[in-house]
Amino acid sequence: MKADTENEILHQILDMGELLLSTGAEVKRVENTLNRLGKAYGAVRMDVLAITASIVVTMTFPDGSEFTQTRRIGQMSGTDLDKLERLNALSRRCCENCLTIQELKEEISKIRSEDVPRWYVYLGSVMAAAAFSVFFGGTLGDGAAAGTFAVFICFCQYYFIPRCPNRLIFNLLCSMAAGIGIYGLTALLPDLQADKIIIGDIMLLIPGIAITNSVKDMLVGDTIAGTMRFLESLLWAGALAGGFMASMWIMGG
Amino acid sequence: METIVIQLIAAFIGSMGFCMMFRLRPGLLVPASAGGLLCWGVYLMSMQWSDGIFAAAFAASAFAAMYAEILARLLKAPATLFLIPAVVSLVPGGTLYYAMSYAVRGDFETSGSYWAETVQYVLGIACGMCIIWALFTTIRPRKN
Repeated sequence: MKADTENEILHQILDMGELLLSTGAEVKRVENTLNRLGKAYGAVRMDVLAITASIVVTMTFPDGSEFTQTRRIGQMSGTDLDKLERLNALSRRCCENCLTIQELKEEISKIRSEDVPRWYVYLGSVMAAAAFSVFFGGTLGDGAAAGTFAVFICFCQYYFIPRCPNRLIFNLLCSMAAGIGIYGLTALLPDLQADKIIIGDIMLLIPGIAITNSVKDMLVGDTIAGTMRFLESLLWAGALAGGFMASMWIMGG
Repeated sequence: METIVIQLIAAFIGSMGFCMMFRLRPGLLVPASAGGLLCWGVYLMSMQWSDGIFAAAFAASAFAAMYAEILARLLKAPATLFLIPAVVSLVPGGTLYYAMSYAVRGDFETSGSYWAETVQYVLGIACGMCIIWALFTTIRPRKN
């Protein structure tokens, strides 16, 4: 029956890794955290491989028994720094003073289920789009328009990402819809500059952080994870560009 | 001068917006967003000395990584929390847009030069972060 406990430990460790990866942590951080956590729970050796799509862990215990589990990581839920911070604190606490498996399980599911209120994310999107529209040379009016479309984009992110087959399709459709709206608005209000408004809203959708992180992953030595995320982000950025291009053609921008 | 002030204020508000989008807890919003402002300031200063985007993005991103590592130690939180908001103002949304829009109009020469700028930004940001990361990993005391 001893094997059950060890498999349960490994299962919780993988839960932690899965949640960390899907909140946007770098693979290096995930590997380090799982390593430390495993050793805190009595492993003498931890072999962890994390890439963006999967985690493989083998734990070796002092009596020589080895346990391996893998976890397929599904769709990314988007960067969530609040969860990242709390998971980090939890793993630190565990390393200093091991929680029981039941407690660890409860803590993890508590972090997983608690979400930041939506108005906070909406307000952030509006601020980001408006500010970057002005940042790239837009007027306050352009900023206001970019902020308005940010509400639309944020709404789409909440309601359509879970329904869309993948991020590629989502980026294409969302940017096309936003682009058509923006060109329509500037046709009605010729004082507004379509390019500045679109640039503000592009900042919300562009996987800029993912691209720079993936290049960093590659330079740091996590070549597989870096290449995967890099190609993925390039495709997303391509879809984003394609969507806005399509809206330009449709509206004759 | 006026545009610089406007840009710095916009970088601050924009970084704060991104912090909220990325669900950073309210207590850390101001120090994290200040990173965005300072990072853009470093970029503008570097642009005075060199006219290469790569060098300026490199310097700004290295500064951002340093800022994030120091803040992480002061505030006892992971460095990622401060790094992402700080480099967000360097993300080349503008050049990407112009690259696309010239491509749509069939002006591939202009479009190509905007693509090249976009790539320089991305490479500069990534290299700058890596150098600091390597530095901090090397000098960090080893635990057994």
